[in-house]
Amino acid sequence: MMVIQSPRLRSFLRYAIPFALIPALVAVSALLFEGQRYLIISLGIAVLALVLFTAGVERRNIGSRRMVITAIMTALAVFGRFIPLFKPITAICVLTAIYLGAEAGFLCGSLSVLISNIYFGQGPWTPFQMLGFGLIGLIAGYLSRPLMRSKLLLSLYGALAGAGYSFIMDIWTVLWYAGRFDPALYGTSIVSALPFTLLYTVSNVIFLLLLRRPVGNKLRRIKLKYGV
Amino acid sequence: MAYLELEGLSFTYPEAAQPALTDISLQIERGELVALLGATGSGKSTLLRLLKPELRQNGTIQGEVMLDGRSVDSLSSRESAGIGYVAQNPDEQLVTDKVWHELAFTLENLGSPREQIARRIAETSAFFDIDSLYSRDTATLSGGQKQLINLAAVMTADPELLLLDEPTAQLDPIAATRFIETVCRLNRELGLTVIVSEHRTEELFSLCDRVIVLEHGAVIYNVKPHEIAERISSDSPYLSFLPAATRLFRLTGSRGEVPLSIREGQRYVSALKPMNRAACDESKPAQGEPALELKNVYFRYERNGADILFDLSLSVNSGEIFALLGSNGAGKSTAAAVAAGLRKPLSGSVKLFGKRLKDYRDGSLYRGNLSLLPQDVESLFLCETVHEELKGCEEVLKNFPYDLSRLYDRHPYDLSGGERQLVALCKALSTRPRVLLMDEPSKGLDGGMKRMLIELIKAFKAKGMTVVLISHDVEFAAMCADRCALFAQGGIAAVDTAERFFSDNRFYTTAASRMTRLIADGAYTVERAAQMLGGNV
Amino acid sequence: MKGFERLNPLSAALYYLCVLGLSMFSMNPLMLVISLFCAVLTCIADGTVKARGHLFALILFIVAAVLNPLIVHKGATVLFYLNDRPFTMEAAVYGVTAAVMLTAALYWLRSLSRVFTADKVMYLFGRISPKLALLISMTLRYVGLFKYRFRRIRDAQRALGLYDDGNLIDAVRGNARVLSILITWTLENGIVTAESMEGRGYGSGRRTSYAPYRLHGTDAVFMLLTALLTAIAVAGTAHTSAVFYPELNFDLLNPWGIAGTAAFSLLSLLPLILNAKEAIRWRILSSKV
Ligand SMILES: Nc1ncnc2c1ncn2[C@@H]1O[C@H](COP(=O)(O)OP(=O)(O)OP(=O)(O)O)[C@@H](O)[C@H]1O
Ligand SMILES: Nc1ncnc2c1ncn2[C@@H]1O[C@H](COP(=O)(O)OP(=O)(O)OP(=O)(O)O)[C@@H](O)[C@H]1O
Ligand SMILES: [Mg+2]
Ligand SMILES: [Mg+2]
Repeated sequence: MMVIQSPRLRSFLRYAIPFALIPALVAVSALLFEGQRYLIISLGIAVLALVLFTAGVERRNIGSRRMVITAIMTALAVFGRFIPLFKPITAICVLTAIYLGAEAGFLCGSLSVLISNIYFGQGPWTPFQMLGFGLIGLIAGYLSRPLMRSKLLLSLYGALAGAGYSFIMDIWTVLWYAGRFDPALYGTSIVSALPFTLLYTVSNVIFLLLLRRPVGNKLRRIKLKYGV
Repeated sequence: MAYLELEGLSFTYPEAAQPALTDISLQIERGELVALLGATGSGKSTLLRLLKPELRQNGTIQGEVMLDGRSVDSLSSRESAGIGYVAQNPDEQLVTDKVWHELAFTLENLGSPREQIARRIAETSAFFDIDSLYSRDTATLSGGQKQLINLAAVMTADPELLLLDEPTAQLDPIAATRFIETVCRLNRELGLTVIVSEHRTEELFSLCDRVIVLEHGAVIYNVKPHEIAERISSDSPYLSFLPAATRLFRLTGSRGEVPLSIREGQRYVSALKPMNRAACDESKPAQGEPALELKNVYFRYERNGADILFDLSLSVNSGEIFALLGSNGAGKSTAAAVAAGLRKPLSGSVKLFGKRLKDYRDGSLYRGNLSLLPQDVESLFLCETVHEELKGCEEVLKNFPYDLSRLYDRHPYDLSGGERQLVALCKALSTRPRVLLMDEPSKGLDGGMKRMLIELIKAFKAKGMTVVLISHDVEFAAMCADRCALFAQGGIAAVDTAERFFSDNRFYTTAASRMTRLIADGAYTVERAAQMLGGNV
Repeated sequence: MKGFERLNPLSAALYYLCVLGLSMFSMNPLMLVISLFCAVLTCIADGTVKARGHLFALILFIVAAVLNPLIVHKGATVLFYLNDRPFTMEAAVYGVTAAVMLTAALYWLRSLSRVFTADKVMYLFGRISPKLALLISMTLRYVGLFKYRFRRIRDAQRALGLYDDGNLIDAVRGNARVLSILITWTLENGIVTAESMEGRGYGSGRRTSYAPYRLHGTDAVFMLLTALLTAIAVAGTAHTSAVFYPELNFDLLNPWGIAGTAAFSLLSLLPLILNAKEAIRWRILSSKV
């Protein structure tokens, strides 16, 4: 078999594909597939947001200790997704963000989705989920002071994150199925998903309250001991 | 000018009353293989870490470390990647999920182009003979394989200086020997300078160029191996650092040239007059009722996986100390889990005192009957201080020969490996078991602590407890076990009294036994050999 | 590994992007049916989807097909009234079309998930960000380690008589204890890993990302072919129209539409063709010996 020899061609291909091709494809198809425009544009924006964030991460210097702790917390979130029904993923992202900062929160949220989807199945929902959980982490990171201090605010944040996430993802489901936003379908999907939304919201709050102290103490000790 | 020079190096940890290292001056030439010895807490790890800027811990340093005429502080992190470092725990040093990625990791960090990485990986895996592991998950490797990958991964950066901190601590004796030999090959064939801190000195002693011994942070010996063998007398606390041949030589009080290797030891022993073996007290294995019985046990972890336990049958008599030996990944810990009722066998039966395990109702099995000291003692630690951890162990602590109360305020993870082992042992004993399974109890212990543990186990036996030991440490097993078994292919390949076991084995045996095989049958520990050969013990 | 799976992950990514994009975003019923057919065939040939998976797909198909006419009441042709609500043919046809689209996407995604193993996902991210690729790899290692350690800790705790799954509360408490130990253990030992990283030059400058995949000539050909077929299919889609409301009005079989559909069919069959080519070549080679 022939390997592409020219290094310039190779590096061109390497960067052209993620950076140029995906947005280009999105733009072209948005113009052509008229009915599904919102869907494609939203997908394109999600991917672009992730790429931009990644580029930011790449440029910054993340210390090895921070990397290790982020990887551990992400793995914990992935591991948590294997627990049936109750999924502590939000709680873990939020706690990671509170103690390690917004960037770690975003990475923990988005990567845990990406990696657990290797086992649960990737799909066009992956970028949305990544962005969704990433943002839950990111915002928690910016709100770390009040969230760390108040149990009530933390529970509120968990509940909002759970419900908001479900509602937003449902919009996308409707867009995909009906080709446009149909309030009746949206209503149906929200109602049919209500038990799950409720379960997520409640379990987010429960997990946050349960894990707040033990996980928080461990992260605090590690930060002190290793000077992260 | 020497390759590596330490000038008046001192180091104090923050908030420590005494310096961990005091005024160390050393010179090491290019291409030397240096063994670094010393008791627990003597400062070996601290010294090795000071030689590589990234590994330095907080604390105050005095003095200089010069590498090739330059201070190591002035090395860029790129240049410093040329100092390779491998530590004791094979698991925690792995960073990535695949073997190939582990091998590529260093070069990726240095920004090497793809072609160069590919070539280095190919070359390195050929040298270490790990081609077959290339695409495996790092999590599925055996301990020995993991450590070899760690070494290979460090070697891809083409280092000139290699620092090894107890690299063979978790390896079975055969894997450990192979590892040391590989290090030696790197030293001989590539001219690498190597400093290795080790408790297992048997092979290292005859291979290294120099031995440095630390005591309380100061160098007390810095000489050629045969010189140190000559200097250390039979009543020195450092006797346990010496290889078996030298120890035997010292204990038999002989003169002449000091033997270092097994071969020299054999030559020395053959010049002695063989003694009547009756001169030695025969240890009689307990002939009690069977305490723990496994019959035709089969076990596997995954439905379509390989059988880890394959027709395993084993019977441990009550009141005896039974040792289980075998290579990394052979399935010893699995066998312990099955014997302790933690895993259900696919078929076969497990009985404790003649009663099937499942007939012990309501957790009575783990209250007063059986207890397990796991291989990873970390899996027992739940609390934030040792004191909380040891709640409910007051009874055990009363008769415990080691004073743990001074550690009460520490976090369990701030303890040294040996101390952790003791705290875990207390927890395992707190249920007052009649049968105690111990998985690798001697890891992380230095000579003195090991001797204490042996006394402790013998005291358990005297109180009628049955002890099953799983150990890589052949010398340790030889010193305390009544009977030994070799674990292979998922079952027991051989069971025998310790004496016959070690006398008959060629490879899986103590150095003393290998040395004295032709002369004194049954001399499987140095002490016994010395007794039988008419020494002054 | 078969021909298609051996391609560079970039080729495979481009391929799935095109096939999935066309299957999900074009509401051309003809192409959707072809897509579903090829997707199912690909999954069966690979053994990706087992009997239970097919059953699940069937249920999804039925639910998705029925949902639309039950909720949406647009359309000119009323078939009958259900609870005084019109049940229209247009809505029913749209429902079936959407169901075909969903099911086809489901099968393609199953195939994608099978081809995109962790290694390949990491490779793709490594192209964009070597640091992220490393983070993914480290996380994957910890996920594996957790599974292993979780059992070990539970065993150790049970042997102390502490873990009792007699009732629900005890089971939850026991699991929480195990999880707590797991987190401490891994976090505390993480420092050794971090040191090992630094000792091996992490953070000394710009990272590269190595992966045992190369861009071969075959990949270039495959990508070009994929792009070409996709372009034709997209152009075909642009020239066809499928209007569902208020009345069905399909214009699918004009020359552009036929060309586009043909190109899409070929595109959908590429993995099967690639794998079959390998099988045939293997036959020929082994029969010569
Ligand atoms: N992080 C630390 N903070 C404070 N003191 C420490 C720290 N690490 C080690 N020490 C102390 O420094 C001394 C030397 O420890 P070091 O780990 O170098 O010993 P060692 O010879 O490697 O022992 P071992 O054989 O058990 O590995 C010991 O007294 C130890 O208690
Ligand atoms: N939870 C598990 N799931 C799958 N395989 C396992 C599991 N635990 C152990 N194994 C495999 O079973 C085999 C035996 O492992 P075990 O831990 O019993 O070996 P060991 O003899 O105790 O080794 P060591 O001396 O290194 O502790 C190994 O090949 C290991 O990879
Ligand atoms: Mg040490
Ligand atoms: Mg074991």
